[in-house]
Amino acid sequence: MAIKKRYGFVIDVSRCIDCRACLVACSVENDVPMNHTRIWVHDLGVKGEFPNLQHMFVPYNCMHCENPPCVDVCVSGATYKDPENGLVLVDQDACIGCGFCVDACPYEARYLDETRGVVDKCTGCVQRVEVGQQPACVATCVGGARMFGDLNDPNSEVSIALKNASMVNRLDYETGQHDTDPNIYYLNATGLQNIVLESSVLPRDPRYNLAEDGWKKVLVPAILTGIGASFLVQATYFTKQLVEGEKEFEE
Amino acid sequence: MQDNVVTRREFLKIGSASLGALALGQFVPPLVAKAARQNGSLDANGDGYIPTICEMCVWRCGVLSKVEQGRVVKLEGNPEHPHSKGKLCARGQAGMMNTYDPDRLLSPLVRVGKRGEGKFRKASWDEALDIVAENMLKIKGQYGPEAMVFSSTHNLSQVQFENLLNGFGSPNYGTQRSLCFNAMVTAFSLTYGVEEPARNYDNVEFILLTGRNLVEAISTSETSELVQAVSRGAKLVYLDPRYTKTASKASEWIPIRPGTDSAFLLAMINVIVTEELADCEFVKQYVIGCEEIPTAMSSYTPEWAESKTAVPADTIRRIAREYAAAGKNAMAHPGWRTSNFVNSFQTERAIATLNALSGNVLTSGGCLVAESPEASGVTFGKPPQPPYPRISALRLDGVPWKYPLVPLKLGVFQELRDAILNGQPYQAHGWFISRQNPVLSLPDRKRTLKAMGKLDFIVDVDIIMNDTTWFADVVLPESSYLERYDPLMAVSGKVFIRQPVIEPLGDTRSALWIYKQLGERLGLGDFFQYTDEEDYLQQQLAPIGKPLEELSVKGYLEPIQQEQTKNEITFNTPSGKIEVYSETLEKAGFPAWPTWEEPPYPKPNEYYLLTGKVAQHTQFGTQNNKLLHKYQDDPRIWMHPSVAQIHGIHTNDLVKISSPIGQVVLPALVTEAIRPDCVYMTPGFGHLSKGLRIAYGVGASDSDLHVTYTDPISGGQALSQTFVTIEKAA
Repeated sequence: MAIKKRYGFVIDVSRCIDCRACLVACSVENDVPMNHTRIWVHDLGVKGEFPNLQHMFVPYNCMHCENPPCVDVCVSGATYKDPENGLVLVDQDACIGCGFCVDACPYEARYLDETRGVVDKCTGCVQRVEVGQQPACVATCVGGARMFGDLNDPNSEVSIALKNASMVNRLDYETGQHDTDPNIYYLNATGLQNIVLESSVLPRDPRYNLAEDGWKKVLVPAILTGIGASFLVQATYFTKQLVEGEKEFEE
Repeated sequence: MQDNVVTRREFLKIGSASLGALALGQFVPPLVAKAARQNGSLDANGDGYIPTICEMCVWRCGVLSKVEQGRVVKLEGNPEHPHSKGKLCARGQAGMMNTYDPDRLLSPLVRVGKRGEGKFRKASWDEALDIVAENMLKIKGQYGPEAMVFSSTHNLSQVQFENLLNGFGSPNYGTQRSLCFNAMVTAFSLTYGVEEPARNYDNVEFILLTGRNLVEAISTSETSELVQAVSRGAKLVYLDPRYTKTASKASEWIPIRPGTDSAFLLAMINVIVTEELADCEFVKQYVIGCEEIPTAMSSYTPEWAESKTAVPADTIRRIAREYAAAGKNAMAHPGWRTSNFVNSFQTERAIATLNALSGNVLTSGGCLVAESPEASGVTFGKPPQPPYPRISALRLDGVPWKYPLVPLKLGVFQELRDAILNGQPYQAHGWFISRQNPVLSLPDRKRTLKAMGKLDFIVDVDIIMNDTTWFADVVLPESSYLERYDPLMAVSGKVFIRQPVIEPLGDTRSALWIYKQLGERLGLGDFFQYTDEEDYLQQQLAPIGKPLEELSVKGYLEPIQQEQTKNEITFNTPSGKIEVYSETLEKAGFPAWPTWEEPPYPKPNEYYLLTGKVAQHTQFGTQNNKLLHKYQDDPRIWMHPSVAQIHGIHTNDLVKISSPIGQVVLPALVTEAIRPDCVYMTPGFGHLSKGLRIAYGVGASDSDLHVTYTDPISGGQALSQTFVTIEKAA
């Protein structure tokens, strides 16, 4: 029988060139206010000593988690995980703008739209996906780093990319009590673990500095508790799991 | 900054407000709607996608504009266009914000205050055009047509701009080219007879980029192809004194000493020919000078090059061998903005030679294609016109009487500016500028402003009040690229159209209309024999035999291809072969071989001033675009930590940068990503025009620091040859 969709992103970090076409495309497509952004390219800063340098960019947005902390804290029931496609969405008619979810998201991927009094975030461009288009960020990705699709469909571009990958990373937020189980999968993120703990070097426009705050927030528990809080956990998503998924799909 | 925060809804409001009291929801623009509705691009509500061509840079990607009720709400890359292949860069995605910029020029303006005071009054088109024509005719009558200078930068309507200046009879034409690619175009023209060879990444295994920061200086399709090639395992060797984002994707970054690229490349040639690694068969058959290359290059050993470049000889030797091993699948990229040093022409000659040695320059199958990327096999029609008047006056930019080898169409813009200032060999009196911002683009802007002070009359065509517009006497507001037709464009055998996807905001007009109106007032109507823009396009399409409507709907046409079978490879040079040895150069008194020319070096305590490119902006024209402003990095001066330590500077400290001609202040970025003998300034900022409310007051302009140095062979301005001192600002 057919199973439900589980939309997610696969991002090849080695192909991100930090050109920010995705950021602008998202802003335009989704009418994002000028003082907010829904997606980020996290700049890990120039690492190493001249001339042996490394510079990586990690695009991210709402992880459309399997266990989204934002849903748990939503008092009005506005934030939900769509049972049909797996996207974490906000019913803005129901949203009362309390902002609990904004604080609860370990990725700081949500913002309160002050003018409308509601919370907003990446929707996976559901309005585009429904009519057969790619999300705006994916469609225009100059380096071809971003992919989007149904992770439950073994023939989707994202599933095939994961299947062919030698290593997959996720920005899993795992505290012992909670595991977000995010749906953004990173390819070719080798070496990220060792350098991710420092804040970005390159200055950003303050309105875009949200990115760094968000990441610090994820990192703090990891540093303080020093327990199972693993950041960028090497994903357990290898062929085995995908094969299982495939079986499920066939059944 | 908070004042500048406007949501898209607000800016759409601004856009529609300027359209007058038309009820939203019912407003469907007549001109666009008529065509677009008839051809089915828009539905009954006025919603849909209309294809056109981007103008956020000169790469010209295909665009699908999503239009809702007469407003552009989103731009998508056109999958059918070879330059976009479905994608747009950040600038392309932000394109509608140039159109909806609250600082758009929406009416002709006539200056009322002093030049540079920014006081203008609105005028009708008739009045503004009459004033322009009257002044141009007055200058022509008193001093001759050559006293009127024209300048413009790469654009699709340039052909009609050139008609205006050639019809008027002036030899004085300034373009951005000498500030950009003169070295590349001149070197490749002399070596291959092709201005800019096309690149093919299909099978490339080894890519050598000499300062070509393709990941930040984005040409959408080419940048995508490069990233794709690296992703599938092609080796990328990148020469740059700065660790750019291209360096971060490279297999190997060579932080070469500025000005010594040619030493590195000549040594590569030396290794390849002395170790006999070249494609001998190809070289013997197609290269002039092949027998003598080893002798001519014998002194350029890797050890010699190490002393110039600070790159170990072994590294150079290894890279040369790797390059040669990749054979036809190796590419030494020609580069683009190659105006770095007065020896940049020699760098380009060495690059041209490296490609000849690898035999990769066949018209198909190789990585470097010895034909222009614009070569399309498409022949457009054009309106009939009389021959141009004969011009006997010397060109103010010294071509060819001072710069014998600079192609006429490239010119030497910085020299033209100096001739306006010095009045030699004669005094210019008027300047017609279109889509260009020489106040920021030319080196030494104090000199540019002084030169403008020498002129009786300045007219500028633009869509915003850029820094040059700010000093103009009459301002003619052009429609933005989303609001107008331009002459057609051919790429890879297809014809593409730029067409209005919305009605023009305010009282703006297309360049085709402006030049024609002006031409008629100047008595040059015969050079503009088209009734309107559509008629112009129809005349262009005549030989292709397909209707404008078809082009309008699809955004492109595929004319019937003429079979182009080439049995023999010939090059458009005097010998018909690749001229590594060039008699043309020798006759003009320059070295016939690619040659090392010692560049100047900074004194102790001085630094090379590097400039460059960021992926969110195009030159000096997009800093007022809110969407790009939102996602830009604020301008900084980069310096190595060891340099910062000497001067007691930390990131974000204000730094005073001084060159022989000026000073600017910028916040520091202390970073390992630059050689300790260099500093780098974020380009494009430092606007003078208060008519740019977002960009004004942000950052600094390198035109306040750059000294004017011209390469005598190619006419290129040496933009990395200015040395500066730095200190912490008080």
